[in-house]
Amino acid sequence: MTTPNDPYYIDFPARIRAIQAAMAKENIDVYLGSRLRTLSWTLDAFCPWRSFVVIPSEGLPTAFTFVIDAARVADDAWLDEDHVFGFAPMGGQDQIELIADFIKDLLPGEKGRVGIESGMSNYLPEGNLTHYEYERYSEALPGCELVNAHTIVDALAVIKDEGTVNRFREASRIVDIGHQAVFDAIKDGGWKGMTETEIAGLAAYAMRKAGSEWEWSFTGGNEIASGYRTGLVGGACTPASRRELQAGDPLMVDIHAMFKLGLGDHSHNYLIAPVTDRQWWHANNFVDIVKLTLETYRAGITPSDLAEQMIGFADERGFSDYMVPGFEHGIGLMGDEWRIGLNDGPFPYWTNPEHVYQAGELLICAMQYACPEENIGFRYENPIVLYEDRCEPLSVFPLSIDEIK
Amino acid sequence: MTDPMQYLTPAWRDEAEKRLKSELSPERMNFITSSMSNIYRDCPDGSTRYLFFRFEKGEFAELLLGDGEPPAAEFKITGAYDTFAKISRAELGSQKALMTGKLKLKGNMVKALKLASIADRLNKVLSTIPAAY
Repeated sequence: MTTPNDPYYIDFPARIRAIQAAMAKENIDVYLGSRLRTLSWTLDAFCPWRSFVVIPSEGLPTAFTFVIDAARVADDAWLDEDHVFGFAPMGGQDQIELIADFIKDLLPGEKGRVGIESGMSNYLPEGNLTHYEYERYSEALPGCELVNAHTIVDALAVIKDEGTVNRFREASRIVDIGHQAVFDAIKDGGWKGMTETEIAGLAAYAMRKAGSEWEWSFTGGNEIASGYRTGLVGGACTPASRRELQAGDPLMVDIHAMFKLGLGDHSHNYLIAPVTDRQWWHANNFVDIVKLTLETYRAGITPSDLAEQMIGFADERGFSDYMVPGFEHGIGLMGDEWRIGLNDGPFPYWTNPEHVYQAGELLICAMQYACPEENIGFRYENPIVLYEDRCEPLSVFPLSIDEIK
Repeated sequence: MTDPMQYLTPAWRDEAEKRLKSELSPERMNFITSSMSNIYRDCPDGSTRYLFFRFEKGEFAELLLGDGEPPAAEFKITGAYDTFAKISRAELGSQKALMTGKLKLKGNMVKALKLASIADRLNKVLSTIPAAY
């Protein structure tokens, strides 16, 4: 647990009080959180197994996770061991009965409104309450009304506090170390005989040595693509394969580090010699649009405004056919990935294209360039903090596409 | 050979207390401070009874036998009288009884795991009391 003078300090008790204040406004007596993002945001612990947090109307929350990991979660979380329970397939200890009994003990007459987290997400480990769980909790809490309440946490998590940003900053510093390790390994012919999985592994090793907890992305950890795999249509997801690097290949290195649930996510691109003029044309297009995008991001802009401006630029330069028309994805403490802002757009649970960015938001500037007919593509990702008049990219590995001899 | 005592009677409780005090040293109890209530449903007379244990720093502190609601305890184990009787006669393991849902545990499982071997020691002592069920 961090202390207030620690740069990574997050005031978790204040977060819980803010949730409880919002619960009171919505007449919610108990909040049953199940999403990974909610668990990270309220507990300060990584919960890889099915887990829940029960937040009463006042007082401390209690976490519930698979018993094999409960002691570790208690050790990592800011809560004491009396507020972390393990569930197991035993009488009274399965997750439905244990948590339902716990909730009933919190409610006078075992009656009240219980906020749950329901919805959908592109992100597989989102952790919404499943249909089965909803039915079982409904049966086990006959005096309760279960209402969808995830917006409470979503709204509170939009603006990032200093401790959160500092955790992302440190995770990004670690990612930059990973990028340097990759560059050092592949330069001067080091790439010969190397596979994508090997590059993913050496980046991981360098980042872990620097303090990263893991390569957190569910897209296979570090995403490495070479040759034709860089140019797959719309291909913004490339778990490393066993493909061996070849002369003339583009190489996309998209690596991830985690520091105290803060997430580093930065992509850097290379061209392995010999590089053709046409490849340089693509590369320069991409670097230029990334630069312009970073210059344009600031509070007040919306995802659709930004996309319109950037695709306009790409069109003028004659490469709009190769740009995936999205320039961002959401990010927060571990488990909060993909959607930006609230669920208030025209398509449920997708980013609202009219979301007006505010100062203090953190997102991943994410751009993908793909020309499948020429087997070439590039990716840029970097966590950025938005201010009134600019953005701050947290990874500072120099923006370029480097030729590797 | 002593005559068997009727299970869960005051005489059985007195014998249980005597044996727990003499056979479970604070060291054997890992110097724990904890409490546990066993709730016996469907006793032969149709009633519900409880047996409440309390240890202070490993010292046996309290053993209460009663009807109705037990005192508040860190752990509450609820089951049928017959299930507890089978455990006392070593015909059924307490872990198996929990895993098959014959017993229901209320309390923090993480702490319960730390105390599982101690609970086994306690049950072993109780199972040596000659008893009729």
